[in-house]
Amino acid sequence: MEKIIIPKPRNDSLVAQFESLYKTFASIQSKKSVNFDLSLLDWVCPLLILPVSAYINNTSSNHDIENSPIKSYLEKINFPDGIDSISLFQQRVQKHKSYIPISTLKKDAGASRERLEALFSEKIYSILGSVPGAQSAVTYPIAELVGNIFEHSKKDVGFVFGQFYPIKNYLDICIVDCGRGFTTAYKEEKRLKLSDIDAISEVMRGNSVKTEKERGYGIWTSRRIISDVLKGGGFVLISGSAGLIVRDGKEELVSLPDFYWQGVIIAYRIPKPLGPLDISQFLE
Amino acid sequence: MVNIKKIHKNLIISDLLASIISSRDTIDILEKIIKKVDNKSIDLDFSNVKFVSRSAAYALLSMREKLQVKKDIYFINTNKNVANMLRVVAANRIVPQKKKPEFNPKKTSIKSLFKKVLA
Repeated sequence: MEKIIIPKPRNDSLVAQFESLYKTFASIQSKKSVNFDLSLLDWVCPLLILPVSAYINNTSSNHDIENSPIKSYLEKINFPDGIDSISLFQQRVQKHKSYIPISTLKKDAGASRERLEALFSEKIYSILGSVPGAQSAVTYPIAELVGNIFEHSKKDVGFVFGQFYPIKNYLDICIVDCGRGFTTAYKEEKRLKLSDIDAISEVMRGNSVKTEKERGYGIWTSRRIISDVLKGGGFVLISGSAGLIVRDGKEELVSLPDFYWQGVIIAYRIPKPLGPLDISQFLE
Repeated sequence: MVNIKKIHKNLIISDLLASIISSRDTIDILEKIIKKVDNKSIDLDFSNVKFVSRSAAYALLSMREKLQVKKDIYFINTNKNVANMLRVVAANRIVPQKKKPEFNPKKTSIKSLFKKVLA
């Protein structure tokens, strides 16, 4: 099995994590089983570690954390398997108060899955504090983006993970699926032949892969709430061989040569809110 | 004499589903539960439900509309967040918003993006 050494991010920015993610997967053929070596990593954020977890779960790949300086952290977050039960999630959160485990959301678990996701959102909300309006502002993107996974991916499993950094005072969240991705979803649902870049653009313009009204705004509205209400420090969306990066309110679309993510990766960073938050303008 | 208790059913959403309702497919679970209930009048009790996503609110209203011939379904004990979401989605179902989101990104190369890592 080919060994893939995950490169250490050059700094703690989302783009640096994205760079490490890109370099990790650029050398891997789609769906191939590999052995991930995490020995170079002394710090990770969800954008890097969650796609690796999802890939391991999806391809039965191996991993080596014996020599990793973050072995203890990876064990605390239940890397790479994640947790798919409410009781285990509660136990883990009780035991390791600062760490939220990777949550594995299984479609066929129905209401149990919804409860696990609710626990995740409640934990994030409790970490970020209870300023007025925070519940909606924090929960909206998680609910819409995770919901999106189950509606469009045609895959039975999704992954969600968050980590709060108390010294830096921000929270990183990542949501991943290994499903059909946007391009295939448009092709199968609307018979549209789009490039990965164009498929991301369609998603961000609110053109749903489904034909019903009141659809298609989930990702766009979430991105606006993250940037404009939560004053987010970045938003990354990857599907297939394309990515969208939002920093300081500026949107950049990028083609990812030699890289293909089967499904969707969404990650964002939000600072701890200091004052009241209001998402009502984005609901109209 | 009509037995009020027998014609009216209260369903506690947080017990049946979760305290945060995000996915449309959980509304399918609720629909199946409602269909099994004999009572014509049903209160969906949102006590302890903290948030309903836009997608789930849409599915909830669609389900209510679909079942309205056979069932009278009421939403009760909704908090401000849940009530707002249901109102906005209900209004948009009647008068859909025509304005599409603007999206005018800059296209960049992977090389120039990663140059900015240390910037």
